[in-house]
Amino acid sequence: MSATLLASALVLIIAVALFAIAVSTLYLNTYAWWDPKTQVRTSYSGLQSREGHSFSLIMPCRNEREEVMRATLAALLAQTHSRKEIIISVGHDDTETVEIAHRLAREFPAFVRVSVDVSERKNKPRQLNKALSLCRNSVVGVFDAESIAAEELLAHIDSVFTTKNADVVQGAVQLINYKDTWYSLRNCLEYFTWFRSRLHAHSRQGFIPLGGNTVFIKRELLTAVGGWDGSCLAEDCDLGVRLSTLRRKIVVAYSPQLVTREETPDSLSGLIRQRTRWSLGFMQVFAKGDWKALPSRRMRTIAWWTLMQQHFMALAGICIPIAIAAAIWGKFPLVVTLVTFLPLIPTLVTVAFDVCMLHEFGRDHKFAISWYDYFRLIAGTPLYQMVLAFAALRALFKFVRRDFAWEKTDHSGSHLAYLLPGAAEPARH
Amino acid sequence: MATTELKPDPPAAAAGERNARAASAPKHRGTAHGAPFSLRYLPLWDKIALAALTVTAAVLSLWNLDGAPSYQDDEGTYTSQAFAVHSGTLAPYTYWYDHPPLGWIQIAALNWLPNLLGLGDGTTIGATRYVISVYFVASAVLLYIVGRRLTMRIPFAALTTVLFILSPLSLVLGRQIYLDNIGVPWLLLAFYLALSSRNALWHHVGAGICFAIAVLSKETLSIFGPALLLALMYRPKWSNRSFSVVGFLTAGGLLLAFYPLSALLRNELLSGPDHVSLQDALAYQLLNRSGSGTIFEAGSSRAELLSGWLYFDKYLIAAGLAAAVVCLLRRQSRILFIAIASFATPIVLGQGYLPAMYIIGVIPFLALACGSAVDIAWSGVERLARRTPGLTRPLRTGFVAALSASLLLMSLPQWFEQDRTLLTAQTNSNWRSAMTWVQDNVSRSEVVLAPYSMWHDLNSSGWNNAWTMIATEKPDLDKQFDIERPGGWREIRWIIVGPSVMANIDSLGLTRVKTALQNSEQVQTFGEWTVHRVINPPSN
Repeated sequence: MSATLLASALVLIIAVALFAIAVSTLYLNTYAWWDPKTQVRTSYSGLQSREGHSFSLIMPCRNEREEVMRATLAALLAQTHSRKEIIISVGHDDTETVEIAHRLAREFPAFVRVSVDVSERKNKPRQLNKALSLCRNSVVGVFDAESIAAEELLAHIDSVFTTKNADVVQGAVQLINYKDTWYSLRNCLEYFTWFRSRLHAHSRQGFIPLGGNTVFIKRELLTAVGGWDGSCLAEDCDLGVRLSTLRRKIVVAYSPQLVTREETPDSLSGLIRQRTRWSLGFMQVFAKGDWKALPSRRMRTIAWWTLMQQHFMALAGICIPIAIAAAIWGKFPLVVTLVTFLPLIPTLVTVAFDVCMLHEFGRDHKFAISWYDYFRLIAGTPLYQMVLAFAALRALFKFVRRDFAWEKTDHSGSHLAYLLPGAAEPARH
Repeated sequence: MATTELKPDPPAAAAGERNARAASAPKHRGTAHGAPFSLRYLPLWDKIALAALTVTAAVLSLWNLDGAPSYQDDEGTYTSQAFAVHSGTLAPYTYWYDHPPLGWIQIAALNWLPNLLGLGDGTTIGATRYVISVYFVASAVLLYIVGRRLTMRIPFAALTTVLFILSPLSLVLGRQIYLDNIGVPWLLLAFYLALSSRNALWHHVGAGICFAIAVLSKETLSIFGPALLLALMYRPKWSNRSFSVVGFLTAGGLLLAFYPLSALLRNELLSGPDHVSLQDALAYQLLNRSGSGTIFEAGSSRAELLSGWLYFDKYLIAAGLAAAVVCLLRRQSRILFIAIASFATPIVLGQGYLPAMYIIGVIPFLALACGSAVDIAWSGVERLARRTPGLTRPLRTGFVAALSASLLLMSLPQWFEQDRTLLTAQTNSNWRSAMTWVQDNVSRSEVVLAPYSMWHDLNSSGWNNAWTMIATEKPDLDKQFDIERPGGWREIRWIIVGPSVMANIDSLGLTRVKTALQNSEQVQTFGEWTVHRVINPPSN
């Protein structure tokens, strides 16, 4: 009797925890759509008439193809903002990419320089730190090798720095090759909700895990905090945490015309590797414990939840059906079984909102989303959730084994096919 | 690059900004008279009106609560089912999906308190009526704020609630333990949230959840679904509208799905040979239950039901129906027409079974329609007065005089008399005498048939066994009887007969009870209540 009671209590606690996770996910995903005022708050401020800042843009590259790098560089060179320099950051052991980088630098000597990282263990933060030492302008920005920036992006980022007196501005990144694979659609939408909504919710709560692309930091501040953490797999998130604890002003801005376009990992194993790296990075950041320096208990709780929620969310997707199955086969009382179904409500509502968001994604980026795409989105959800859960478990396994080797994502350049003439151009008003 | 104020904002964000600006400006879309009504920024007069209406509703609802009207069998059913919830089941007998259980689960969550405080003259059914009065007061308050959300002026929103509180129809039904009374405040809250003028997504998701709770409390309230959806959508298009509609439908739909889900988990979703099922219950309620005839057929039970409602308050019903047509003149009020029309459709066109409490759901909407129509008329008077400045005062005075006169004509002859009866009459004394006599004179081991209105109070006074103290319908309608009482009707020793018993024997086809009653003698009489002893005991 007491064993049954204990088991029931356990099932109830798990169900309530899953419900809380699902509601929190729903809250973060839909934050930007709560009311029209939120949408205004989360968009860019208007353009200033004078340029207030100069930019050093770091473009970290490793094993890249020339056409991919060339496209990324072209978008940076085409920026309407006049005061910019571009530093292509490469590793000395990657001779082919080093060669391409030098070739490109020779083509545009006025704007482009090359930074070669010679450290023994290679990873993105070390390359970034090496490049940082070469930067000369007031704001440092990072653009991944496979990303296409919008023409007026720097001009708008400059205005945000000026009008909002920001220390850090996080712009938005959007994966766009949604038609390529079954997982790329979900992956694209994930980026959409992350930059359109979730980051803004985190920003409002005062604790932001920064992204690694299209992020802009004042150079003095970045140098003062010692640049990126060279041993962290989520150097971007870590920087956000450290700057949050210093109470620096981080502004997140979104406008569909100004997103930086990127591609999804080119294979499922690539996606799993990328996700594992991120999860592992978040675990590292969590273990480092910088977030404990936040001033109030409330802030620390939010930080704890933000860092953990990624993993919870990944696992909740597979835990909910398991909990339900356990409750049904375990012959628990009806009420207990019904409670295990409760987390399904926010989960399925989230999926329903995903459909609305996919519609908005198509509208913003002028893609014709078909009925088949909506179907793929819904049908792919459980599978994608399993991929995320697998990556999270893989990360946990590596974390326990202290295996922090950098698993790089390969880029095939498939996003370039989506940039038809005009598609990448910001709409003129 | 030297442009000034070049905006890359998408149309959605730009529209959002316009809304944000509109919200701070005095004239906001969705309201005709200034800023949108919000509980967070309540003007003084709203506070005063709300306080006064709350007190009035509470006093009128509580006064002589257990004296009148007389306890009905359905009230006893839900009381006993609420007590069953306390002990972990949904009903003292087999739960057969007659209604979704959330209504009496809510009663169960609250009724321990009045019982603990000893309210209700020591009876459980009387104490449980206090729970209903909480819901009545909540409905009255919600009615006011829904009226305000529908852009009514303060006096007319207050008038709406006053109609609701004072109408004898509403006051009689609103004191009784009916599931409709539990569902109505949730329905009104759903309307309040759906009409949220801030276009806030969460309010609209909340509206879906509240509507699901209302329907899970009493399924007939689902008839207001189309009007509610219209309340949500029937506004100038806004950027998040698809999110609002999707959130409303999915949250509400998923919560509603828990009802069939719970049936499925008990393996009672579909019909089967040896168990009750949701399918059978629905088929019974919608198709097989003896119909009420058409409304145009004199003497049909539908026509009788209607005349019963009209007996209690023909004024509110007639005025509300007329006002519903006037409501078509204002955009915000049109949903009231839809609500009342969709409610009336099955009454006018249908032939199926119609429960007497069905009317409870529409009373708030009739009151709202009256309030809205008066508000619309007042707007007309104001427009007329602006055109002819000299006539302002006489026009206004005339309007107020006409309104007051019609209210007095409505209330004085009928309302006053009926409300006074309700607040002073003692209609349950015979019920109580019959119950006390049984408690004092019948052995706790003898099998008794009792109407549901006193079943729980009797059973809990010493029988404590649902198959010794048996509710009147159960020998014929619950298959469990054959197992518990293999001797059939011959095991029954006592039958308590109240005003509803003979009618139920006919309408529900209670042959065992009928046989037992034919073989019994009348032992005691208390007004319309009698106690019978079965005189043909088993031959063993």
